[in-house]
Amino acid sequence: MAEALEWMQYVLAPQVINGASIGVAVVLMALGLTIIFGLLDVINMAHGEFYAMGAYAAVILIAIGIPFWWALLLTPLFMAVVGYAVERTLIQRVFHSKDRHTLTLLLTFGLAIVLEDVLKIAFGANPMRIETPIGGSIEVFGLFFPNYRMFVMGMGSAIVAAVWIFIFRTRVGAIVRAAAFDRHMTASLGVPVNKVYALTFALGVALAGIAGVLLAPIYSVFPTMGRDFVLIAFSVVIIGGMGSIKGAVIAGLLLTQIQSISSLYISPVWSDPLLFGCMVLVLMWRPQGLFGRLGHG
Amino acid sequence: MGEFSRPASSKQINSLRLLAVLFFAISCVFAFIATVVEDVFFLRLATEAMIFGGLALSVDLLLGITGLLPLGQALFFGFGAYAAALILKNWTVSIWLVLLACMLSSALVGLVAGLIAIRSKGVYFALISFGLAQVVSKIVFNTVELGASDGIIGVPNAQILPGLSSGQPTVFFLFALMFIALVYSLLNYLMKTPYGRQLIAIKANEHRVAFLGFNTWRFKLSAFVLAASIAGTSGALYPMLRGFVSPELMFFQVSGNAIINVIVGGTGTLIGPLYGSALLTGLRSVVGSFTPHHQLVIGVLFMIVVILFPRGIIGYLAPMLDRRCQKGQGTVQQEARGG
Amino acid sequence: MRQTILSASVIAAMLFCAGVQAQSDPIKIGVVTPLSGTYAGIGQQVKWGLDLATKEINASGGIAGRKVELIYEDEEANPAVAVQKAEKLLQVSKVDFLTGTVNSGSTLAVGQVAERNNRLASTTVSFADSITADKCSPNMFRVNARAGMQSAALAEWLAKAKPNANVYYLGPDYEMGRSTVAAFKAAAEAKGAKTAGEVFAPLDNKDYSPYFGQIRGARPNVIYTSVAGNDTVRLMTQMAEFGLNRNLQVLGASGTVTSQNLAAIGKAADGFVTGVGYSTTIDNPINKKFVADFEAAYKAQPDLYGADSYGLMYFYKAAVEKAKSTDTDKVREAMRGLQWDTPQGTKTMRAGDHQAMQDMYAVQVNDGKFVIVGKVDADAAIGPDTCTKF
Repeated sequence: MAEALEWMQYVLAPQVINGASIGVAVVLMALGLTIIFGLLDVINMAHGEFYAMGAYAAVILIAIGIPFWWALLLTPLFMAVVGYAVERTLIQRVFHSKDRHTLTLLLTFGLAIVLEDVLKIAFGANPMRIETPIGGSIEVFGLFFPNYRMFVMGMGSAIVAAVWIFIFRTRVGAIVRAAAFDRHMTASLGVPVNKVYALTFALGVALAGIAGVLLAPIYSVFPTMGRDFVLIAFSVVIIGGMGSIKGAVIAGLLLTQIQSISSLYISPVWSDPLLFGCMVLVLMWRPQGLFGRLGHG
Repeated sequence: MGEFSRPASSKQINSLRLLAVLFFAISCVFAFIATVVEDVFFLRLATEAMIFGGLALSVDLLLGITGLLPLGQALFFGFGAYAAALILKNWTVSIWLVLLACMLSSALVGLVAGLIAIRSKGVYFALISFGLAQVVSKIVFNTVELGASDGIIGVPNAQILPGLSSGQPTVFFLFALMFIALVYSLLNYLMKTPYGRQLIAIKANEHRVAFLGFNTWRFKLSAFVLAASIAGTSGALYPMLRGFVSPELMFFQVSGNAIINVIVGGTGTLIGPLYGSALLTGLRSVVGSFTPHHQLVIGVLFMIVVILFPRGIIGYLAPMLDRRCQKGQGTVQQEARGG
Repeated sequence: MRQTILSASVIAAMLFCAGVQAQSDPIKIGVVTPLSGTYAGIGQQVKWGLDLATKEINASGGIAGRKVELIYEDEEANPAVAVQKAEKLLQVSKVDFLTGTVNSGSTLAVGQVAERNNRLASTTVSFADSITADKCSPNMFRVNARAGMQSAALAEWLAKAKPNANVYYLGPDYEMGRSTVAAFKAAAEAKGAKTAGEVFAPLDNKDYSPYFGQIRGARPNVIYTSVAGNDTVRLMTQMAEFGLNRNLQVLGASGTVTSQNLAAIGKAADGFVTGVGYSTTIDNPINKKFVADFEAAYKAQPDLYGADSYGLMYFYKAAVEKAKSTDTDKVREAMRGLQWDTPQGTKTMRAGDHQAMQDMYAVQVNDGKFVIVGKVDADAAIGPDTCTKF
């Protein structure tokens, strides 16, 4: 019994808590993806590159002497502008064609290739880093946890909550949901749907950017850093239901827990196949994912 | 546009045929010139373009004809390459046996993957095929028996006929060209059969096809298996040309490049992907020598095509050609039969 | 019959041309190296090292009176691209010699291309033992230290600094990472170290904290890791974050901490020890000049890749001047057993497996600088010749 308790405390508990801190990071990434898909029907293949851009924006801001906390605030604003511009100048051009699913996916895929190379030209291929703004660690159940990770978990949860309140409890959020449900009806009610689309895209990109800043002190900054999240973020969005915020949160936390706890028993090589297996199983059972998409019930 | 689609498409097929004949004619002229000037590099580069052209054809069968976007077609290409490398190294150097084995085995792998992937639709299919390739490539990357990250080197040349082997640049280029011509003709023929029309109908409106009493799942699955088999057989030619295989052949870059080749060349035209493949293989080789930022060049080019010419080069040229040579239709058809 | 005469005369004409060319044309060296992609940082060092040596050689009269010309091709650290570029260099640019590959997959594949085109190639970076062991090629030479040599130097240092160490191994889960761990484990255990446990994390892993529980539980006093590049930055920052590096000696493979990622790791790298074939603080006149020139030219410190690539040019120069020709067979003969001077001291190319022998060092990171803390002679570090192909 004592042995089991010790196992829970020293082996399982840290695994669960570490898994949760990675989970929050994954949810932040998946959140932007799922909102963009839910409203615009766009699979944003450049999401990882926007995440990297956010991290680099923070690197620049900090290099010119702006404190981390201001960078945390300014970067999402900057990324929202980038997102707005990308939607207006690129996505809109193919958005109205018949197979926009494919075309927007391909367009953002091209954008991802370009952005990654641009980051490499601007900053070089070598990794950079942002100093952890909160040092030290706290003791939980006799285990050490870095304060900054605790902060990321708290901040991440706050962001998810804020987005949820914005979408489901505000007037603007209602318009966004309405536009996702029936764009023509919403437009005929006098809502500037195109602007709503661009702003939602900007919101998704800003979320990727804020994830970039928040995670930079832990994961360091380099041009290909966005690829880390590609497979897991897409799996989360698919399992949770494309366009579902609730689904992204639940699937994100669940999948990272599965990965984290399974890594105690199986070789980490199998963590990706495991993830993928979960995705296939869920799709066989519920082809539309666990939860419905934005604006649909 | 819709009302005129029938006559327009039949005319377009003629100009597509002309472009196809042109493609294979240029290839033959190229082979002749390259052989005369005793070039080796460009012949072998062109052979590689043909091999990736086969992969592009398989992507076009799914994307352009059936309306499924495969983000992981490199899985089958890489599978064929590994299978061929192992067979060549351990069992036989006969190209015919190797290709037969790879054709069948990659179809089998395609069947298994298809059973997983075809259940899902639209972007779900795209992401599942992506994930599938990602997972398999990681497993290969970690399997010591398959050479792990180093891959397999020392793959011997394949024998086509006594005295003719894949080590001879001209011989193997012509062989790859014939293979591609065969695949192209097969797909072209299929498109005229009721089967092909079903696939095109699925792309246009899957629900309507289902209402008409057809089992769309079975059509999609068979197209997926056929595409896997084409990709795998094309992949089988790779180690014969380069003498090695590595897990990078299964990576997303290969799938992504194949899609770029198809889109730039012209989706759904079958000949477009071959032009795209030839053009971009050459471009990558040239641009890469001048700047390390070739990804930027290719990426921008690709985005321009997606935004301004979503039908690709051939999809853009073919209708123009139609208007020009409406009079010469008869002769074109004859030529096409000859090619 | 007529064909034979024709081809004979063609060959004769070509030989004649080659003879005439030899006096005037530059010697061309093809460099297939990753200038983009994950390994672009290493490719940059390779390029700087080669460029610097070439500039010096050309300024002092070239190789056997001929200028040297470097032709670069980006291989994206992808063997499929590397092979295509190598063929281009050999057949279109007609280079005399190939070098530059970084990841072992590319090196092996390019070695095969060189073999099929009857030219010589060399790597200055890849450290997989197989390249000069079971997958050796008569046309491939390696001037840098291989994994086994690095382990020997590090294990020697460990035995002295921490006798009876209890070592935990953490490697990236792919062939290279596993074999590096295995090589060091064997070397360390032979010197009396105990094994506390081992774990392999996926390549490009973003978070190592899930493994920290197991590591803590095993209570090691030494951690050995073979992760590299960006992965090291993450591992070390996260270890510092969790306070895991307190009371723990961290050891690593030679690519684990280099001048490219040292700045990003920052203070967390202090105390780290690695077995390596180069350090900027090696005390000999060639190295002092090399470091000074390198920093003046590129505003960056050379690392082992830069130094090995720099040394390669002098290796090729010595071989061609000894062979008095750029003919493949003659140069190969000259390269075998060749001794030449480099910033790392005198190296000897072992004839049996084409692996360079050199003194190996244990190097510690101290305040952001690499300091030599131990040395193993070339003979003790090299290990047996297991190449059976030639």
